Amino acid sequence: MSTLSSLSRTRWFRLALVAAVAVLLVLAPLVLPVFANQTLVRIGVYAVAVLGLNIVMGYTGQVNLGQIFFVGLGAYVAAYGVTHDWNIVLVFVAACLLPGVVGLLVALAAARLGGLAIAMVTIALPIVGVPLAKRLSGLTGGSQGVSARFSGAPDWSGLYDDQWQYYILLLVTAASFLLARNLVRGKFGRALTAVRKNEAVAASIGVSPYLYKVLAFTVASVFGGASGFLYLVAVQYTSPETLSFGHSIALVAAMVVGGAGSIAGALIGGAYYVLVPQFTNTIDPNFTTISQGVVLLAVLFLLPGGLVSLPRVIRRLARRRTTRPPREDPPRTTSAWPEETERQAQS
Amino acid sequence: MGTFIQLVVDGLSTGSVYAALALAIVLVNQATGLINFAQGGLAVLSGYVAYSCLQQGIPLLAAILLAVLASFVIGAAVERLLMRRFERGDPDTAIVVTIGLLTLVTGICGWIWSYNNLQFPSPFPLTSVDIFGAVVSVRSLGTTIAIVAIMLLLQLLFLRTKLGLALRAVADNPVSAAFSGLPVGRLLMIGWGLAAALGAIAGSLVAPQLTLTPGMLDNALVYALAAVILGGLNSPLGAVVAAWLIGVLENLAAVYVPFIGHDLKIAVPFILIFVILVVRPQGLSGRKVVARV
Repeated sequence: MSTLSSLSRTRWFRLALVAAVAVLLVLAPLVLPVFANQTLVRIGVYAVAVLGLNIVMGYTGQVNLGQIFFVGLGAYVAAYGVTHDWNIVLVFVAACLLPGVVGLLVALAAARLGGLAIAMVTIALPIVGVPLAKRLSGLTGGSQGVSARFSGAPDWSGLYDDQWQYYILLLVTAASFLLARNLVRGKFGRALTAVRKNEAVAASIGVSPYLYKVLAFTVASVFGGASGFLYLVAVQYTSPETLSFGHSIALVAAMVVGGAGSIAGALIGGAYYVLVPQFTNTIDPNFTTISQGVVLLAVLFLLPGGLVSLPRVIRRLARRRTTRPPREDPPRTTSAWPEETERQAQS
Repeated sequence: MGTFIQLVVDGLSTGSVYAALALAIVLVNQATGLINFAQGGLAVLSGYVAYSCLQQGIPLLAAILLAVLASFVIGAAVERLLMRRFERGDPDTAIVVTIGLLTLVTGICGWIWSYNNLQFPSPFPLTSVDIFGAVVSVRSLGTTIAIVAIMLLLQLLFLRTKLGLALRAVADNPVSAAFSGLPVGRLLMIGWGLAAALGAIAGSLVAPQLTLTPGMLDNALVYALAAVILGGLNSPLGAVVAAWLIGVLENLAAVYVPFIGHDLKIAVPFILIFVILVVRPQGLSGRKVVARV
């Protein structure tokens, strides 16, 4: 056990593991059935949305209940671009940029208030978004929605459509996760953590809470837009239903269940978002909403760090059982945001 | 002119429903420092409780009263069994807990009573009276008067009674409140119970208009939150006035601004918020909070 865990800490082992996973991900669609590929694609779509949400909620501590609005906006922009025969790269850039600009405008106003008020303002986004999407029927196709068939495989590739979609998704998702990882590990990420832990302290060391809240929200919106583009790649259709209030709540739940403040947690969150309803719907559709609520509350109670913290918790329990003295034990927290015991002790 | 007065009066009556929910949010916030996103869901649950009582042949007013009592118990139980563990922690986590609660309550309502629209009778007669050339239904009038009465009672409770003082003390500083011998846990339970009871009244008042569905108050919750932002979290009076303002403005905008219309009028409070935030970030009547490092 100890040799295994020390092996897993070496650089080469990690690199080899990453390479193996990458090869596996590239080869997977060639052998998997169509339905499995489509499920993987949808997991990737929502993983990117949850990733953005994680940056603003998990890392910056600003409750954002409107992430689905930016996903829907990205999907609509992509649909508009595709139906007007734009270049695909241009479509992608527009699908990221426009939600980013809207997110920036919302954040400029919302971040003037405290964290709770951001939650209260963002809850309005999906609730205003649905009638707005229906109203602007010239752009959005109204209640019927708009379909854009563009992500079929080109002839030279020799791939099936689902495989082609998978590779587009893999490219964008991998780039998003790399970008997010570098963002939160660098100076930007440390500033976000400072803002989350204590705004007054952050301000006193020259980190403007307002600026970083706005930036985090904007980055989250860009990721939301990218997720919307991927949604159109996968589903090839979008309607006002895409950005409904319930979906927005489900995204927040997925982020917390996966693990707030964790890049890997976003991937688990995406899988949770797609797989659990798929599973509960086969049992009883009426049961889906209840199960989502129960799972979210259970995770908050039992596993505040989300599913991503499960291995750590198991390791800690195993260590406690053996008689060895504990070493470098991570502090116990009752918060979904790890390492926050000091702040709780103060307040 | 008749139309205008009609719109204003109707706006006041819908605004009153938002106000009831906003008051419940202010109450929980005053008692615990939290925002309860499940407030609308709990109110819908009590609407269903009243509905079930009606099905058992209990008269309407008694059914509503029973639902209000049941809601007090449910609210207190939610605080004791669920929220207590998160109250001292990170407020953001507590918010997510209330979101989980909203999902759970909506799911339970849908499971037990289905997602179909159910008819709920109004406690007020369906007649109307004439005020300055506008036809005003007794239902709107009754709703508005009921909300004003509750708001006054709450102001009295917070500012003039020992219980209100204790509730405010616990919200302001639980540790000091405990040192002064206040039963902090019990007071928090009372705060949640009162808020849930208030939500139950809102639910019963709005259910005849909207018909009973699990998502009935999702939109009203958004309006209530908007009212709370505008009015300030620490002011029952401010929240009610803001709720009325929102109700009236959205009604006027729906008719006089062609682009907004009936379906987009929910955007009105948020346009209002954006404008006001730029001028007064602490809300219309809220106080500025000064942080110490």
